[in-house]
Amino acid sequence: MERAVPLAVPLGQTEVFQALQRLHMTIFSQSVSPCGKFLAAGNNYGQIAIFSLSSALSSEAKEESKKPVVTFQVLHFSLAHDGPVYSMVSTDRHLLSAGDGEVKAWLWAEMLKKGCKELWRRQPPYRTSLEVPEINALLLVPKENSLILAGGDCQLHTMDLETGTFTRVLRGHTDYIHCLALRERSPEVLSGGEDGAVRLWDLRTAKEVQTIEVYKHEECSRPHNGRWIGCLATDSDWMVCGGGPALTLWHLRSSTPTTIFPIRAPQKHVTFYQDLILSAGQGRCVNQWQLSGELKAQVPGSSPGLLSLSLNQQPAAPECKVLTAAGNSCRVDVFTNLGYRAFSLSF
Amino acid sequence: MSSESSKKRKPKVIRSDGAPAEGKRNRSDTEQEGKYYSEEAEVDLRDPGRDYELYKYTCQELQRLMAEIQDLKSRGGKDVAIEIEERRIQSCVHFMTLKKLNRLAHIRLKKGRDQTHEAKQKVDAYHLQLQNLLYEVMHLQKEITKCLEFKSKHEEIDLVSLEEFYKEAPPDISKAEVTMGDPHQQTLARLDWELEQRKRLAEKYRECLSNKEKILKEIEVKKEYLSSLQPRLNSIMQASLPVQEYLFMPFDQAHKQYETARHLPPPLYVLFVQATAYGQACDKTLSVAIEGSVDEAKALFKPPEDSQDDESDSDAEEEQTTRRRPTLGVQLDDKRKEMLKRHPLSVMLDLKCKDDSVLHLTFYYLMNLNIMTVKAKVTTAMELITPISAGDLLSPDSVLSCLYPGDHGKKTPNPANQYQFDKVGILTLSDYVLELGHPYLWVQKLGGLHFPKEQPQQTVIADHSLSASHMETTMKLLKTRVQSRLALHKQFASLEHGIVPVTSDCQYLFPAKVVSRLVKWVTVAHEDYMELHFTKDIVDAGLAGDTNLYYMALIERGTAKLQAAVVLNPGYSSIPPVFQLCLNWKGEKTNSNDDNIRAMEGEVNVCYKELCGPWPSHQLLTNQLQRLCVLLDVYLETESHDDSVEGPKEFPQEKMCLRLFRGPSRMKPFKYNHPQGFFSHR
Repeated sequence: MERAVPLAVPLGQTEVFQALQRLHMTIFSQSVSPCGKFLAAGNNYGQIAIFSLSSALSSEAKEESKKPVVTFQVLHFSLAHDGPVYSMVSTDRHLLSAGDGEVKAWLWAEMLKKGCKELWRRQPPYRTSLEVPEINALLLVPKENSLILAGGDCQLHTMDLETGTFTRVLRGHTDYIHCLALRERSPEVLSGGEDGAVRLWDLRTAKEVQTIEVYKHEECSRPHNGRWIGCLATDSDWMVCGGGPALTLWHLRSSTPTTIFPIRAPQKHVTFYQDLILSAGQGRCVNQWQLSGELKAQVPGSSPGLLSLSLNQQPAAPECKVLTAAGNSCRVDVFTNLGYRAFSLSF
Repeated sequence: MSSESSKKRKPKVIRSDGAPAEGKRNRSDTEQEGKYYSEEAEVDLRDPGRDYELYKYTCQELQRLMAEIQDLKSRGGKDVAIEIEERRIQSCVHFMTLKKLNRLAHIRLKKGRDQTHEAKQKVDAYHLQLQNLLYEVMHLQKEITKCLEFKSKHEEIDLVSLEEFYKEAPPDISKAEVTMGDPHQQTLARLDWELEQRKRLAEKYRECLSNKEKILKEIEVKKEYLSSLQPRLNSIMQASLPVQEYLFMPFDQAHKQYETARHLPPPLYVLFVQATAYGQACDKTLSVAIEGSVDEAKALFKPPEDSQDDESDSDAEEEQTTRRRPTLGVQLDDKRKEMLKRHPLSVMLDLKCKDDSVLHLTFYYLMNLNIMTVKAKVTTAMELITPISAGDLLSPDSVLSCLYPGDHGKKTPNPANQYQFDKVGILTLSDYVLELGHPYLWVQKLGGLHFPKEQPQQTVIADHSLSASHMETTMKLLKTRVQSRLALHKQFASLEHGIVPVTSDCQYLFPAKVVSRLVKWVTVAHEDYMELHFTKDIVDAGLAGDTNLYYMALIERGTAKLQAAVVLNPGYSSIPPVFQLCLNWKGEKTNSNDDNIRAMEGEVNVCYKELCGPWPSHQLLTNQLQRLCVLLDVYLETESHDDSVEGPKEFPQEKMCLRLFRGPSRMKPFKYNHPQGFFSHR
């Protein structure tokens, strides 16, 4: 698959259609395989592609050419979902993908052998509606071996991965949920949604513990962008969230914003990395912030807008320790260190 | 010898004493016979050896006597004188003997000489005789070989074999009993037989000749009869013409056309035959005709050598002429014209479409380039109001562009032509395309010309099967092309007046109330399109080739202005028009800074199949534009209201939407659900 068709190449019907499809592709989600050598990416057409990071990063591949896309074969390519693939996570054996209403499980080992049959599929108990609500976020809770799904129906569903049954429903959001984050120490989950609130849930009692309505704080409110919280990350007592309101670092116990990061574009993904905060959203760049609010670096990628970042920190594959970023294009940018974009994988 | 001489000497001495008696007797015998004395005869009787002894003895005696005389004289006694006298007498005798001996020696010498001479003469005579004999022998040998080498003429004559001869020849010729043993007689008999046979055959030959003569005469007579028949038949044909016309049976016309077709160059002939065949078998709306002057075509064939000579000479001449003549430019021009010369005959195809519009195709053959070109013209049943933006749609130059993907018809399909162009300084064929017609690849294929991509070769032969295999698809494509162009033409006429002409059978694709309006539809140049800031993606993806047509649409609703840059592929509508959007409302929004604008582009560009409408989906462009209007409505009405701004929303939400936003990229509900009339997310 080529990234850019050279100019003035005669195009037939199918070629034009494929070119247009690639042009309007959005990659919503990524997930690194448990072995750390492969990366799965899901797009708006419901396709999941598996890229081999290890072969893309190997020295031979680099010497071969500077067009990585041609070199790195998409190992596995199937129409996995009817609608877009909004979210994906990997357990130690499975890849879980979610889009319109359903979560599906795929066996990593089989996918790498190009067997693209889904292992199982589950639908959370929705209230009846004209439209099937989408699942925007998946979150693994390793301690209780469960999966939390959240999305269009404004609720958090907990699914026991052992039995495949839905055990809990956490209600509280008034609009659909964009993102989830797990607090590592206590069994608490954070969720952020279109209604502009970040809610903290206690998994033991299945109750809402705390609510932060970000847009109500004048420092970070940006009414022209809307209230929605698009991204969320947490580290001990700290939480960072962004979206319509400005990207803000919060101290959870006191519910106060401590740092407001000076960036105008709405952010779609944020994560803690060592003592930095990485964020991405509209615009080509991956932003690196100091906790104090200073912009440490802005590394440009190839997509006009980014939707997801993925840090490959699998201990099994230290040579594949990279940052990947994907969004409004058919390309997944690969950053071998945080400083610059090494190359792009492409659908 | 000495002993012998001494022996001989003794008898001499004796003879001189007492033996001369015997000698005398012998001598007397001879003398008695001759009856005369001859010293010569004496010589014969004497032995030369004895004479030699005698001579020696006499000399010794003389010496002794001389010595004694000298001795006596020196003593000088008394009786010396007698003694001396005696001695002197003795000496005299001896002198006589010597004299005698001397004479004998002379005679002997003379005799010897004579004998030698005589013998020599004899030898000479013998030698001469020998020479003569040898010569005679040689001559005879020559004669013998000549005889041996003699060849008779009969040996060259091929005779029948011996067995056959005895089997076939009558006995009075073969005479077996005589000839069996005698090869000479046998050969003579065989020769006789041969002569007999030859005479017979010659007779037969003469007979055959006369037979032939007779038959020839018969043929002549019959020919005369046939030639007299032709004018009569012609007159009958002439007389039958009105009947043919009356009965609508245009045999004659078809015949005439075939007659003309004989003068077509091979590719045009292939095209003519295949198109006629296709027209008769599959498509009654296709009519084929031949245009041009037959006489010129005929004239072409007469002096082919002259023109070829010119061609081959041109290389060599070119350099000279550059130096010689100042009118080089004119000459090159002439050469170019010569190279680009068309065959005087051309084939016209008229393809009638459903709505009575006709596509006129004129196929030409460029003789020196060995390629075919086509000129197209579309005539419609009704007079069309030509919208400004539709200028290129039906223009002969572009109406058939890219009938097959990538077939622009600007470059020559024959690789060999490039070399020919180099000679006369033509850069590309595209400068001449307007005048000559377009050399599309499919045209070559219809004419059965197939050019291999890599190696240019002169021997391209018109191939019927190639033409036949492409005829049907091409004709269908041509029809579709004309229809889609006419449909576009019609749509453009409305679009220019700000009306999006949605047909009734596509009405279900859109809600009843659409507020956004198309206000502008203009054509833009390719370069201008390339320079637009929001079309970069399309250009990068290679979708903005220079064969496409480019347009700019402006859709307005209130203060919001949506610019849409449209790429119209010549392959419309199987290849959809591609839209790029730029919304001017609360700042400039394009696909790079607004996910929903990107989604709107995706809606019209990728999901175009929903908008095709009934086959053959010529309404696609209209539907896409109407869809854009709907999308703009949705976009504006669902935009979240900024609480901080005073006053009512500019665009109150009128569309029924299940949800406003969905998914991580906060998509708006762009999908229209037909019977229920609400909007949802895709």
